[in-house]
Amino acid sequence: MTILDLAWVFFRIGIAAYGGGWTIVGIIKTEIMGRGWITETGFADLVAVSQVTPGPVALNAATLVGYRLAGIPGAAAATAAVIAFPVLAILLATSLLARLGKARGILQEALKTGTIALVAMTLWTFLPAAASSRISGILAAVSFALAAFTKTHPLFIILGAGAAGLVLSFLVP
Amino acid sequence: MDRSSNHTASPSPGGIFWTFFRISALTIGGGYAMVPVIEKEVTSKKWMDEKEFYDLFALAQSFPGPIALNTALIVGRRMAGIAGFCLAMAGILVPPFVSVLLVALLLDGFGDYPPVRGFLDGAAAVIPGLVGALLWRMCTTRTWTVWRAACTLCAAAAIIFFRAWAIPLFFASVLVALAGEARS
Repeated sequence: MTILDLAWVFFRIGIAAYGGGWTIVGIIKTEIMGRGWITETGFADLVAVSQVTPGPVALNAATLVGYRLAGIPGAAAATAAVIAFPVLAILLATSLLARLGKARGILQEALKTGTIALVAMTLWTFLPAAASSRISGILAAVSFALAAFTKTHPLFIILGAGAAGLVLSFLVP
Repeated sequence: MDRSSNHTASPSPGGIFWTFFRISALTIGGGYAMVPVIEKEVTSKKWMDEKEFYDLFALAQSFPGPIALNTALIVGRRMAGIAGFCLAMAGILVPPFVSVLLVALLLDGFGDYPPVRGFLDGAAAVIPGLVGALLWRMCTTRTWTVWRAACTLCAAAAIIFFRAWAIPLFFASVLVALAGEARS
């Protein structure tokens, strides 16, 4: 893997990065793990860190994967590559899309079909982790209930689960 | 772009950079946590009104990319043209890039220390729950038709089982969905 390979993969990810952080995390996961560049645990750690550091999760995840694979140059290359297409598209096509008016509603409805499918794929790839131990299963179920049915800020869910894990590390050697 | 119409205050270039820098540095929890903060900032500074902001936000969602970045780019450009675009981009990108690298460096040193390991395992364990909740919300807030449901189910099945082809399959399913929406 060279920096160019890394940049190419993240450029591709950037093109399909519709619908916010979790779709992007899902694509990063399949693209990067599919190439054997990072392990399951390694990736879960990166996403955990991406969530509790400031800034968009997808961007943080790209920066971290780049850093893990090729140091600071890798971090810079992955970050620049993942935003390259979105930035160019916004630069060149904003006025075009703004003029679409009502047709944009149709485009966004169609995009929902693709993004729901991508989020379903992201969920699918993370499900084995939830089934890996009783504690993981409980944390996943509780966080689902809190995030889906209450207005709890995700950050508190993440930090709460992190704190639970920290305490457990003392109790279960 | 016409920037004489709705807003009453014109931001300075430094104002655009620092506003987005601060939002990006202080908001944890990703794009959908950042957008309401951006909205509050730009409306309280009278750069634009709420309606105009949400029009731009809707436009930002038509593009791929982190939603907070897209929103900042479009708002920055609306406020101060290409200069505003670049300043907003720098403001959003710098804080997470630096902070994430600092955390990564720390983890290189302390990542195998059991309490740190425990914290990371706990924080990682909620990922399926949060993704599931997002999927739940996306599905329960969408207006469903038979066509949309069939299309989405096929797209999800195809993308799950041919993961290596996720990106082309995503675009193929959007095109099929678009054709169906345009016809009805």
